[in-house]
Amino acid sequence: MTVENPVDTPPAEEPVPPPNGARFLGNEKAFWRLLRRGAVLLLVTLGIYRFWLATDVRRSLWNHTEIAGDYLEYIGTARELLLGFLIAIALLVPINIVLFLTTLSSGLLGQIAGALTLVLLGLLGQFAVYRARRYRLTRTLYRGIRFHQTGAAWRYAICAIFWWATIGLTLGLAYPWAQASLERFKLRNTHYGDLQGQFVGSGTRLFFRGVLFWIVVVGPFVLGLVVAIGAIDWDALGEAMRRSGDDVMGRIEAAGVVPALVVAVLSFAWSAIAIALLYPAFQAMVLRWWLSGLRFGALTVTSRLSTRAVYRLYGRFAWLALLAALALGIAAFIGLAIIGALETWLGKGTLTELLQTAILIGTYVIVALVYSTIYQATVKLRLWQQGFQSIELAGIEVLDGVKATGASGSAVGEGLADALNVGGI
Amino acid sequence: MRVSGRGIFFDGATSARRAVLVELSNDGVLIRDAEDRDMLARWPYDELDHLAAPEGVLRLGWAGSRKLARLEVRDPTLAHAIDERSLPVDRSGGVARRGRLKVIGWSLAATASLLLAGIFGVPALANQIAPLVPLRVERMLGEAVDTQARKLLDKGPPSRPFECGTGPGEAPGHAALSRLGARLEAAAGLPIPLEVKVVRRSEANAIALPGGHIYVFEGLIDKSENADELAGVIAHEIGHVANRDGTRSIVQAAGLSFLFGMLLGDFVGGGAVVIGARAVLQSSYSRDVESAADRYGVELMGRAGGDPRALGAVLGRIAGANHPGMEILRDHPDTKTRLKVIDDLAKTTPSQPLLEPAEWHALKRICTAR
Repeated sequence: MTVENPVDTPPAEEPVPPPNGARFLGNEKAFWRLLRRGAVLLLVTLGIYRFWLATDVRRSLWNHTEIAGDYLEYIGTARELLLGFLIAIALLVPINIVLFLTTLSSGLLGQIAGALTLVLLGLLGQFAVYRARRYRLTRTLYRGIRFHQTGAAWRYAICAIFWWATIGLTLGLAYPWAQASLERFKLRNTHYGDLQGQFVGSGTRLFFRGVLFWIVVVGPFVLGLVVAIGAIDWDALGEAMRRSGDDVMGRIEAAGVVPALVVAVLSFAWSAIAIALLYPAFQAMVLRWWLSGLRFGALTVTSRLSTRAVYRLYGRFAWLALLAALALGIAAFIGLAIIGALETWLGKGTLTELLQTAILIGTYVIVALVYSTIYQATVKLRLWQQGFQSIELAGIEVLDGVKATGASGSAVGEGLADALNVGGI
Repeated sequence: MRVSGRGIFFDGATSARRAVLVELSNDGVLIRDAEDRDMLARWPYDELDHLAAPEGVLRLGWAGSRKLARLEVRDPTLAHAIDERSLPVDRSGGVARRGRLKVIGWSLAATASLLLAGIFGVPALANQIAPLVPLRVERMLGEAVDTQARKLLDKGPPSRPFECGTGPGEAPGHAALSRLGARLEAAAGLPIPLEVKVVRRSEANAIALPGGHIYVFEGLIDKSENADELAGVIAHEIGHVANRDGTRSIVQAAGLSFLFGMLLGDFVGGGAVVIGARAVLQSSYSRDVESAADRYGVELMGRAGGDPRALGAVLGRIAGANHPGMEILRDHPDTKTRLKVIDDLAKTTPSQPLLEPAEWHALKRICTAR
């Protein structure tokens, strides 16, 4: 800075030349502090503080993310989230009442009410996911230009429900094509100013990269299930169930249930262990595929996210989770001791029981919050960081001439997503 | 005195990044192109928008514009100079902190208010709403609940009827039950017709559904030593029907779901708070309802000419086999308290058994003589 007519002598400091990549410059300590304070306030306000915490977290992530030399900016506010939530509640109340009355009504309507509710809530949930994405995009600013999203949320909801049903029916095999199709829908409708997004990731390519995971994780499980079902003598089992009286267990055993059960449990255990061990590799692969499929006009993204980095961040999570387990074990022990001691201090009574219940529930909530905090500060933050730092941009010249378009979007936050509990970062 | 320095400017119309000279004049920030010195923007100090940014960057916008133009200043001395001149710019974060404290204070107040609404508001509201529900609606509700309740309770083989008293040998028992029910119904004089049935369940219990269905479990008949004891329990259940407790509990459950399921608890671990708070509150509502039904039952037995203390006698006998547990989670009041209340209310008027010994004998066999 200079004082008095400085215009003739501009300082030597030059802006950093924009690199072809992205960086995350967040301070992990500050992030921890934010989450810690947020967890305590969530606890004492029974969750009302979540709107402010979510806004703080996003601000912290967005504002420290530098792409090609400039920072992203998050301009959403907690007030918008709260208002949107209240409106969504008001809209959901009549729907819930109708659904409730349907379950009570007799006849066919009452019988299918459960399934109907499930489908409707699924649709509403996906609708909300899409709307929430729109809110986040319109609150994302880069170089003074905002992102926005077009496309009808109900169309996305129908597509999403169709694809998730297909994934379920194919035991996960359809996942790559589902992801590719849904991401194509989302990115096609994503705009940065007048620059339209595009997703070019190929589902088939993802399938061939990931099919080994499927064979290792789901294959033995399916095989085990088939073997187990084949090993049981169903007629004998049915007979054993029908004829009550002496030695039901003996007849059930004779039907070959025990070996079948052993096979089923073993294959299930195999799948669970395989998921735990392979999930980081799977996530790294999908994230790499997704990032490398992003396009904005002539801007292309390539990601070199290393699988090892993702394993490292999960390893750190596991280590911190273990430490937390030790600390929480001691805390839970003290809590139980207090619960026991309360009876001697206060005698038996309603107050004692209320306090005991409060301590019990409080302990559980604290444990859950501690783990969620650790997860967010290690896995989520680090994945965000690794994801951004892994990318390489080509054609960044387009970023210099983008024109502002698009309205500010919904002013009422992502209420429905919050009310239906489907929000994300 | 004019102060100036370097900055980066985005005009909000295009994404072009411009190096600019920032001049602090008397009334505002002047932003000039670093190369050709063209004036790009003039922002008054009191209309500056101080925006969140990474450490070491002062990010400003102009509140007076709909465009999202941004000025970024990384020079700490220049940032300090802007901070001193502009009221909205608050780099120490004091204003933001005070605002946040206010939010926390109001959130705590909202939590307290919701808890109070759960403890006092929901039951009061249910008391007001339940009598307003038309009887026709209550009966429809009763039919639906009845179907579900039967599905849940009927665990016997399909060949055996769930209801007792349908077999030819059970007819005398059925007749006795009808007589007992009719006497109590006449004494109660409710606008809803009652339907008392005995069902094959081994627990010593009875339930009342909305719309006047009362199910007496077989186990209760086994535990009853005379007709008045059984009548006492049925009178208690008629109390639930008269007070419209089925409808009331549906309203209460809906109110609690709304308060704790929708407004609160959408955070990790919040589910436990919701379940815990609902269980404790619902049990406390239920205890109040049961006390009211006890009072009604005693009074009804007096009116029907039976022994008002019989309810206490059978309750005392059943409670002997009960398991101890947390009192705040129990849906009935403590048996000792119930017995004392029943005893205090029951007047020592001479009473006659409500059924003849032969009828009672037949009723005892309503489920067994097929």
